[in-house]
Amino acid sequence: MTRATRTTPAASVARPIAVERAVTLVVGLLGLLAGVAALVVGAGWLGHGRAARPVLDPLAMTWLAGHAALARVLAVLVGLVLLVLGLAVLVRAVRPERHPAFVLDRSPTDRLRVTPAAVAGAVRADAERVDGVARARARVVGSRDRPALRLVLWLREGTDLRRVWHALDARVLERARQALGVDQLPTAVRLELDTARRQRVR
Amino acid sequence: MRVLVRCLAALLGLAVAGVGLALAGETAWAWARPDAGPLVVPWPAWRARLAALSWASPGVRLLAAAVAVLGLLLVLAALTARHRGIRLHSPAPEVSVTTSRRSLARLVGDQVRAEGGVDRARVRAGARTVRVHAASRFDTEDQLRSRVREVAGQAVADLPMPRSPRVAVVVDSARTPR
Repeated sequence: MTRATRTTPAASVARPIAVERAVTLVVGLLGLLAGVAALVVGAGWLGHGRAARPVLDPLAMTWLAGHAALARVLAVLVGLVLLVLGLAVLVRAVRPERHPAFVLDRSPTDRLRVTPAAVAGAVRADAERVDGVARARARVVGSRDRPALRLVLWLREGTDLRRVWHALDARVLERARQALGVDQLPTAVRLELDTARRQRVR
Repeated sequence: MRVLVRCLAALLGLAVAGVGLALAGETAWAWARPDAGPLVVPWPAWRARLAALSWASPGVRLLAAAVAVLGLLLVLAALTARHRGIRLHSPAPEVSVTTSRRSLARLVGDQVRAEGGVDRARVRAGARTVRVHAASRFDTEDQLRSRVREVAGQAVADLPMPRSPRVAVVVDSARTPR
């Protein structure tokens, strides 16, 4: 993970894919190691006798036949574990990212919630009012208990970045914090610099 | 790369789940009704084939090489799917601000190209170094180099970054100094 996500754990610039990366890495490493090991055995580096033995080694088959019950139980268990893990990874990878609603009033009788689209729309409108911002996009991400904001700003050419940067915290994010009644709103901002040309007189 | 890794993870998850289902299902079926034959996967035929092949046979070695290469590709895909953003100063502790490498390169390139005498400029930006390749027809290499270095350095210095990247300049000039 990058430093950006480490310092602000609740907000990330893009959808976090740590689990997906880890799965890909582990499966890739297993494939690489298994393939290389099979090549090493086949090349005869562990002895020519071993290279000439069948892939389904009679010794292993004899051992399995001797422990049939254990092997079957293990096979069924391993199969079930693989099934559950595989489905979990699949669901996680294809599931759309969650956009939680802000709960303003948590009393059991009244519940006041602000939809993520409303928050995102308000923040986007505020951000686009900042001088130099050509376009903005806002998303509410994270969980219901730890909501975070993801903001992308497209800046015009020649924009003074320091001014945008101050307006961002003092106006846009401060308004959002006040409206939602929170002290802290973890936010990840991505700036796209120099995206729209300045108007030139022809 | 990030979308690719998500797709790969989904496919791998599906494959692992399929293998797990087949393993558990076939084993349980063969245990319950040993004489009924396989359920879906023709594993007795596979077993006979594998028992006849040696580790040194070309087919096995080819398959092993293919699996190793596929594994390596997966590892590379997983390792390259990082955020490659460039960090800027945070206005508040819980706010992180980043920009893209392409964005930084575009900013520096626009400012260098706006400089008179620069005909072409190509910029590649990273978190540690910004490389500028500029060409001019009229300026000598020394003139061009010092000006491009100054403009690019100023452009980078104007950004609120915790650690400004180093500017490396390469110039081409049609004019040779006398």
